[in-house]
Amino acid sequence: MPPTFADRLLADLEARGLLPPAQAAALAAYERQRPFSLHYELRALLYLGITLLSGGLGVLIYQNIERIGHGVVVAGIAALMAACLAYAARHRPAFTWGVAPSPGLLPEYLLLLGCLLFLVLEGYLQAQYQLFGTRFGLAAALPTALFFGIAYGFDHRGVLSMAVTALASWVGVSIAPLAAYAQNDYATLSGPAAVLGLGLGGLGLWSDLTNHKRHFAFAYLSLGGNLALVALTAALFLGPAQTGVPRWVALPVLLATCAGLAWYARRTQSYLFLLMGAVFGYVAFSYLCFEVLGFIDGVALGLLYFPLTAAGVVVFLVNMKRILRIVPRR
Amino acid sequence: MRLQAYNPAWALHAAVRAAATRWQRQGLLVDGQHAAIDAAYPLDCYQPAWLLRAVLFFFTVLGCAAAAAFCALPLLNSSYSDAGLTAWLLLLAAGFLLVLELIITSSRPYHAGYDNAILYAAVLALLGLGVQAQLAVGGAGTLAGPRLAPFLLYGIAVLGAATVRYADLLAAALVFAAALALAANLALQTAAGPALLPFVAMLFAAGAAAVVHRLARGPHYFYYRTCRQTVKALALATFYLGGNYLVVREGNAALSHLPFAPQIPFAPLFYALTALIPLAYLYYGLRRHDRLVLIMGLLAVAFSVFTLRYYRALLPPAVAAALAGALLLAVAAAALRYLGTPRHGLTAAADDEAVPLFNLESLVVAQYNVPGQVPAAGFQFGGGDSGGGGATGQF
Repeated sequence: MPPTFADRLLADLEARGLLPPAQAAALAAYERQRPFSLHYELRALLYLGITLLSGGLGVLIYQNIERIGHGVVVAGIAALMAACLAYAARHRPAFTWGVAPSPGLLPEYLLLLGCLLFLVLEGYLQAQYQLFGTRFGLAAALPTALFFGIAYGFDHRGVLSMAVTALASWVGVSIAPLAAYAQNDYATLSGPAAVLGLGLGGLGLWSDLTNHKRHFAFAYLSLGGNLALVALTAALFLGPAQTGVPRWVALPVLLATCAGLAWYARRTQSYLFLLMGAVFGYVAFSYLCFEVLGFIDGVALGLLYFPLTAAGVVVFLVNMKRILRIVPRR
Repeated sequence: MRLQAYNPAWALHAAVRAAATRWQRQGLLVDGQHAAIDAAYPLDCYQPAWLLRAVLFFFTVLGCAAAAAFCALPLLNSSYSDAGLTAWLLLLAAGFLLVLELIITSSRPYHAGYDNAILYAAVLALLGLGVQAQLAVGGAGTLAGPRLAPFLLYGIAVLGAATVRYADLLAAALVFAAALALAANLALQTAAGPALLPFVAMLFAAGAAAVVHRLARGPHYFYYRTCRQTVKALALATFYLGGNYLVVREGNAALSHLPFAPQIPFAPLFYALTALIPLAYLYYGLRRHDRLVLIMGLLAVAFSVFTLRYYRALLPPAVAAALAGALLLAVAAAALRYLGTPRHGLTAAADDEAVPLFNLESLVVAQYNVPGQVPAAGFQFGGGDSGGGGATGQF
């Protein structure tokens, strides 16, 4: 049998005199007898089982709705939601502006499930009974208020993301990281989306700087920053005729947002915000060079611009630890 | 000059440091040993987090594409010529390789995204030369045709050289794929080829696995570890799919250009292979503590279930999903409970080697749990889906 991975490591360490032979032998025995972890595999199977079961049951209920009746389904969802929220409420940690101690995995999951069931229930009531009629604002404001209250009261970041999403849908935009690119009609929504994004970013900064739920800042800044950057970039390219946002507003605000994200990235030593700032900053800078200043003319010069600036971005990103004095979080 | 472009010590040093951190956490090292190991195994290469690697890769691809287009201007803008195209591809390949070597020696990236991108650009240019030569003799033809083999051999040579020098896993995977295509091509040129193709694929996969196993004894164990794992995963998949009833039956029909897929010869043999290979993978993976084999076994089980349902659907989909889900839930929950205390060398507890990728929890929740959709004209509630729980277990 060829030597295993651990055997090779230990042999090298022993050969360099960094481990005494007895300790190396003990470590080798430990590595051989260490149980094999099925943690992620079993959890994956568990989630797959839950998904299949709930999906299958959902389709079965849908197929037999005439026999079951809508009232029973609504009552079932409501009872399940109430049970989840009641269980979570029983394990609620005391309120603090800092990080509350975790009540455990189960109450946290059930709180999230309860909030999801609230949305299901609300959607069901609207689809079946037109509970809100055409007052869509109310339909979005209700979960917004509820989820913000739960997120702060129960100190739950997952519910906070749902609250931010509900708030965005109240304004009329999708804020989910990928949907922010694909689903929004920026011809009409650039302005509101940018204001919402910047507002959320500001809220995140306030949380962080004044230490009010500092651990919520990441969700606010990542979701809000992403939305603001996408909306401002769209405003830049679509122009004021469509979006109503003048370019002389969009471009400086976009560049300032990128700079702000880079500053925040340096403060919190986070790669994500720096990358957001760098990527959108590059787009804005290229726009500035081509459209506003117009000094790049001709195909050859244009083709030279991209290799040179792309190389510039790569050099910046590779050396950003030194440039911004960032120590990456391990 | 060394055969390996990157310092082969980096892979060893990274592995030792990770193991030492784990031993330290479990209290298996005495005071000062961890620091001494870290000092003796320095890691002076650059390999950032995966997100940054992806961005670096993207920008380098952009730069390489624009640079290639810029170089094409003087060579190709007057009129197209074969010699001009060859010169352009050669220039690109040589230029990218030179830049890659210079960057590796100067800024010491180690599969950091941008070095991968430059390597792929150079390999693409070299493969482009092969495509040009192939087009000159009338194209590659079909998988069964005699003209494909030289091109595949050329591709294996280029990609093999890239694998040996840069230990790139995509190049290694493509070597495997090209060699498999070559084996199929040679088999299909014989009279019994189509009937024997499944066995050729399985034999090839077994051979590739044996080669990988053999290479693990040689030097540079750590440098090529990810490449070996990649080829091993592909060999396991090929071995299973080569014996899978659905793949063989539908593949046979596709190769013979039949409008429907008739029953195949040796059908019972393929039933048995479809059922038994996944179980064998699972058994081996659990027994030998080999996560790669275990995961391939789980995927193979899923595909075998799909194969069975494709030809013999025993229950309506909703009932089958609900029953299977309930069964899976029960089995997984029972296994989690049973293995709460380690038994038979297995445990349900987290292996502390597994570090969460990134704090993406809030983004993932926001992405997959869309509450009210954006109100639009004629908007109705109830159309959207709420997705899965989306939680990662990392609260």
